[in-house]
Amino acid sequence: MEASLDAEKQAEILRERYGKRAPARGFGDSVVVPKRLLLPSVEDPSIWAVRCKEGKEREVVFSIIRRVEERLGTKNEVPIISAFERGGVNSVMKGYIYVEAQRQNDIMIALDGILNVYPRTKMILVEIKDMPDLLRVTKTPNLEPGAWVRIRKPAKYAGDLAQILDVTENGLEARVRYIPRLDYGVRDDALAALDANGKRKRPGAPGPRPPQRLFSEVEARKRQPRFVTASNAGPNCWNYMGDEFDNGFLVKDIKIQALEVKDVNPTLEEVTKFASGAEDGTENLDLKALAASLKDSNTNVAYVPGDIIEVYHGEQRGVVGKATNVQGDIVTLQVTEGDLKGQTIEVPNKGLRKRFRAGDHVKVIGGSRFRDEVGMVVKIVDDRVTLLTDQTNTEITVFSKDLREADDIGGQGSLGQYSLLDLVQLDPTTVGCIVKVDRESLVVLEQHGETKQIMPSQITNLLPKRKTAVAADRNGSEIRLDDVVREYGGQQRQGKIIHIHRSFIFLHTNTTNENAGVFVTRASSVNTIAAKGGRINAAGGPDLDSMNPALKRNPAGNNAPPPKSFGPDRAINQTVTIKKGGYKGLLGIVKDTTDTHARVELHTKGKIITVAKADLAFKDKVTGRPIDITSRGRGGYGGGGGRGGFGGGGGDWAGGSRTPSAGGGSERTPAWGSSKATARTPAWSRNENTAGSRTPAWGDGSRTVNPYDGSRTSYGGATSYGGATSYGGGSRTPAWQSGAMTPAPDGFGHGSKTPAYGGSSGGDAWRAKTPAYGGSGGISAPTPGASGADSWGYTPAAYDAPTPGAGLGAPTPAALNAPTPGAYSAPTPMVSAPTPGAWQGGWGNDGGAPTPAAQVAPTPAASGGGVYYGAPTPAAYGPETPAASGPRYTDDD
Amino acid sequence: MSENFVAPGQQRYLRACMVCSIVMTSSRFREEGCPNCEEFLHLQGSADQIDSCTSQVFEGLISLANPSRSWVAKWQRLDGYVRGVYATKVSGQLPEEVKTAIQDEYRIQYIPRDGSATED
Repeated sequence: MEASLDAEKQAEILRERYGKRAPARGFGDSVVVPKRLLLPSVEDPSIWAVRCKEGKEREVVFSIIRRVEERLGTKNEVPIISAFERGGVNSVMKGYIYVEAQRQNDIMIALDGILNVYPRTKMILVEIKDMPDLLRVTKTPNLEPGAWVRIRKPAKYAGDLAQILDVTENGLEARVRYIPRLDYGVRDDALAALDANGKRKRPGAPGPRPPQRLFSEVEARKRQPRFVTASNAGPNCWNYMGDEFDNGFLVKDIKIQALEVKDVNPTLEEVTKFASGAEDGTENLDLKALAASLKDSNTNVAYVPGDIIEVYHGEQRGVVGKATNVQGDIVTLQVTEGDLKGQTIEVPNKGLRKRFRAGDHVKVIGGSRFRDEVGMVVKIVDDRVTLLTDQTNTEITVFSKDLREADDIGGQGSLGQYSLLDLVQLDPTTVGCIVKVDRESLVVLEQHGETKQIMPSQITNLLPKRKTAVAADRNGSEIRLDDVVREYGGQQRQGKIIHIHRSFIFLHTNTTNENAGVFVTRASSVNTIAAKGGRINAAGGPDLDSMNPALKRNPAGNNAPPPKSFGPDRAINQTVTIKKGGYKGLLGIVKDTTDTHARVELHTKGKIITVAKADLAFKDKVTGRPIDITSRGRGGYGGGGGRGGFGGGGGDWAGGSRTPSAGGGSERTPAWGSSKATARTPAWSRNENTAGSRTPAWGDGSRTVNPYDGSRTSYGGATSYGGATSYGGGSRTPAWQSGAMTPAPDGFGHGSKTPAYGGSSGGDAWRAKTPAYGGSGGISAPTPGASGADSWGYTPAAYDAPTPGAGLGAPTPAALNAPTPGAYSAPTPMVSAPTPGAWQGGWGNDGGAPTPAAQVAPTPAASGGGVYYGAPTPAAYGPETPAASGPRYTDDD
Repeated sequence: MSENFVAPGQQRYLRACMVCSIVMTSSRFREEGCPNCEEFLHLQGSADQIDSCTSQVFEGLISLANPSRSWVAKWQRLDGYVRGVYATKVSGQLPEEVKTAIQDEYRIQYIPRDGSATED
């Protein structure tokens, strides 16, 4: 009978007979319906997202099933169909549960009164097309022995790297080894004591965790011998405190949940710790496993257009090309080799790696302890690249993803603490700018323009960049870092100032590669092209105030501000009234100044405004009398200038103690002479440098029959150096010398001035001069005043304190002594040389009164200025005169 | 009364069946077996079998109140199962012999629930 049935029927019978073992439900139709046929449709119930408390998603879901089951069969059955959650610490869907129901109202009923879920807040209806995404499941990557993971729990090891030794069959637990953090009970002893509550502290209490160190049987035995037992698992295996140790590593079965599997990013450094533990001492670093771990974390590989990239995975495997565009995970490659050459393909960055060739010069950009090493590729195996480092000539192996083609030009840029363009001190007198950094040496450009190769150890000091450094260019304009200047004469190189060292400036230019574009020159031989921040440069002529340190050295004076390193203006802190403009008539205090402008804090408005200095009238703070700050300053000068002779300021002035010094005019001279060496007076140095040619007056002066004229002129003229001319006026010098001036002045001091004066230098000449003075303009009135008795009269006035007698008697002579003679005979010119700028102003402004003071003071000041670094004015002063006059003199002769 | 409810304190004993993804405490698996798969998994009373065929690593709980009407159940291939709590994803792999036994003897196509079978 069976035979009569056709095969088909027979099969059906058989299936019926034996196929019954399939469960009736669920698996009944064992044909798996493809997912795409299961996609939701409008007939399916809707899904709403309902807010719930974060972290309580699971509880809510269980509460729902409880309610569903409790009300089952009652008249108020829970009307929802299902509810689910996709919580989790890192989930983007946490904070919601998703409820499947026919109507939104069903959800209100179902969830009403359930803890931690908030159906009354806004529910979100999930669109049909989004529903499958709610249930998307991504596979956790399979763990393979040798792969690297990070430990999440216990907290003591959180974040530590571990290596997988084995994974249980169901993939839920892994045997891992990692470096233990043991303290061998050192801390336990302290903790064993009961705390205040009589409770034992819980192990794992917060505290510093012991450092990672391989297990040491010796140490363990020493401290806690009874916890250590040898394990039979291997030669170097131990059991200690219930844990297993193999070759020093802690070996443990850990649940997958307690392991961080993704984005492990083990660094080579961490990994090497595992490698070095091999018993035979060989490095068994399994870079392959490491690579596998790293592959997941490809996200941190940054491909940049221009990288040469190789596809090592997927259909396009083997293709090599140059990245032209990188967008998210997609890299666009311009294929450079093989059949596809010339084509542009897009590949996901997952299967990519950078490609290098042996001989490439590469830099390690990240991910390993070799970061920033630069070297040459010597070997490539898969994505492991071995390179010979430039710095140490050792071979290191890194992943190609951590490499970039290095710029050959830039090089390291730094060697130890020294980097390119730093200013370094080589010996007490030599500085240099680093223009090249090699592996172990540096090339510096010295201040004199020579380059020299040195070792870092030859550097005594790294000179920090002084932002405030300032110098004067050949026009006397102030130049600072970052200003753009051009050499005057020579090659006319132009560059940006990177360092100012004394009179040398180091410039950087982009027009040449030589010395990394750095060259050095003297500040005095450059012209400013562009000052940073558009500083206002004094338009006409040098600003001697800012150049002359003596002028800066403020008197300990009562109303002058404390001296600043640079550019303090005596106007600062002065009380002023404004003479012009919208603020005319207002009283204020000068807070800050530039060459031409001042920032004035108004008494009336509590506001700071900027006013041209010319529009300010200075007043005495207390009396309100108009004052001349220049002259005052000057007075102070005498004192402040270290002018021993002139003592401390106007008041001291009278204190004739100085006189002697002054009086010892002759002696001075030597002193001066000595100082001469240092002779700083600008005029002077110019002179010496020959640059001096500056003041035409000078040259002329020396020659002119009427030296005075010459000198005066210079005075009048903008060039303070003109003052120098007065040198030339050197004609004086003779006077001075012959005069044994010193006495002459002295005598002068004591006696009636003018005559003495005249007498000393030759009355005629003087007379003649005086007019000349007048002619000179700036000095005009005062000069005569100065020379005349009038000035003397003034002196007391100006200084108040000194009685005429005093003035004339003791101090004055001193003052005059040096200066006056100078002024009128030889020295004055000297004085004038430096000072001129300074006092000219004073004179101009004041007219008469200050003159004497001015005269006296400045002279020293000037000389002080001259002795840039030296202290005593006299010294400076001295040298010049003789020096200057000497030669001149002869010339003249 | 509500048999599928698990108090928060007991939730750390939860396990999920690797075949049907139902989530229950391990003690319940031991006492009752898997309500859907007992026929071929034979979990009842067998700690070993429970250990290898259920997983404590799972995520995305689903309270299934009405398996026959639910789209979620259909999508998760839970239609036809009993009411209860299921997981969206169950990590872990069935032992090979169990896998072959299910497919050969019971003609059931095993669909791993660890996410490895999502791409059709």
